[in-house]
Amino acid sequence: MDESKEPVATEGREKMTVLVAVDESEGSLYALSWALDNLFAAAVGGAPNKPQPLGRLVLVHAQQPLQHFIMHPVGPAVYATSSVIDSVKKAQEQNSRDVIERAKGICRRRLRPASMVFCTQQVEAEAVIVTGDPKETICQAAEQMQTDLLVVGSRGLSKIRR
Amino acid sequence: MAVEVGKPAMVVGIDDSEHSFYALQWTLRRFFSVADSAFKLVVVHSKRSPACVVGLAGPGAADVLPFVESDLKKIALLVIERAKDLCSAFPVGDIQYELVEGDPRNALCEAVDKHQAEILVVGSHGYGLLKRVVLGSVSDHCAHHAQCTVMIVKKPKPKH
Repeated sequence: MDESKEPVATEGREKMTVLVAVDESEGSLYALSWALDNLFAAAVGGAPNKPQPLGRLVLVHAQQPLQHFIMHPVGPAVYATSSVIDSVKKAQEQNSRDVIERAKGICRRRLRPASMVFCTQQVEAEAVIVTGDPKETICQAAEQMQTDLLVVGSRGLSKIRR
Repeated sequence: MAVEVGKPAMVVGIDDSEHSFYALQWTLRRFFSVADSAFKLVVVHSKRSPACVVGLAGPGAADVLPFVESDLKKIALLVIERAKDLCSAFPVGDIQYELVEGDPRNALCEAVDKHQAEILVVGSHGYGLLKRVVLGSVSDHCAHHAQCTVMIVKKPKPKH
C-alpha cells in the first residue's frame, strides 16, 4: 500500500476507511460506538456549512465455519443429517444478521445529526459477513478493503479496571 | 470558539525509529489536519537509561557510562526536535512534549494515567529489535495494559 495513493484533502480531514469487527459481545459494540463518536464526529466549531465526506465505515462479522459432524466425547462421530445442517446453518445466519442489525442500529442512532446546526455526517456504512477463523478472515478483509484503521473491541483487562 | 480545556488527550509514544515517526505523522494527518481537533496531543519519548544499554557487568563500565548517558541524551533531544518539526506542519492547537526516562512500556502507561488520555498511539515496531515479529514488545504491552484505547499504527510494507 503506497502512501502516495491516499488522497490528500485540500482542507478538512482525509477520508478514512474504517473496518469495525463486531460480534455478539458488548465489547465490540462499545468499540463501534467509540469509533463512531471519535472517528466520525462532526467538527465542532468548524465550518458548519461544508458537509465533508468523513469516511467509509465497514462492519465486519466473522461467523464460525460450520462443522459437518458432531463429535461426542465418548463414542463414534455422528454425521449430522442434511436437515440438521440446514437448520444450524440457518440459525447461524440469523444470528449473524442479528449482530449486523444491532451494529447498524447503533450506526443509525449515532450518525443522525444531533441538531440542525451541525453539518450532515456523510459516512457510507456497509456490512460484510465473513466465514472462518475471525483472526484470519478479519485481517484478510481489512487488506482487501484497503482499510486505514481496524477497530476491535477488547474483552477487558482482567486485573486492572479503570 | 471551542474551549480548549475540556479536550481529551491523545498520547503518542515515540522512539527514534522510522516506525514511530510514521505513526506520529499518520496521527497528525488523520486527527489533527483541521485546526479544531477533538483531542489535545501529548508526545511522549522515553529515554533509556545508560545502565540498560551498557549492561551492568564488566570493568570499565563505570567509565563508559557518562559517555553513553550524554549520547542517549543527545538522541532523546533529537527525537523531540524531529517530533516538533513534524507537528509544526499541522495546525495542532494544544500540544505537549514529554521526555521521560525508563522503560517505555511503563512510561507510556503512566503518561496515559497522568493525562487521563483517551487514546494511546504507538508504532508497531520501534523499541524492540525484533524485525520479524509483527508486534514489538512495547506496543504489545501497551495494547494489554494501557487503561485506554490503544491505536497501533503500522507502516505499510512496500510491495515488490
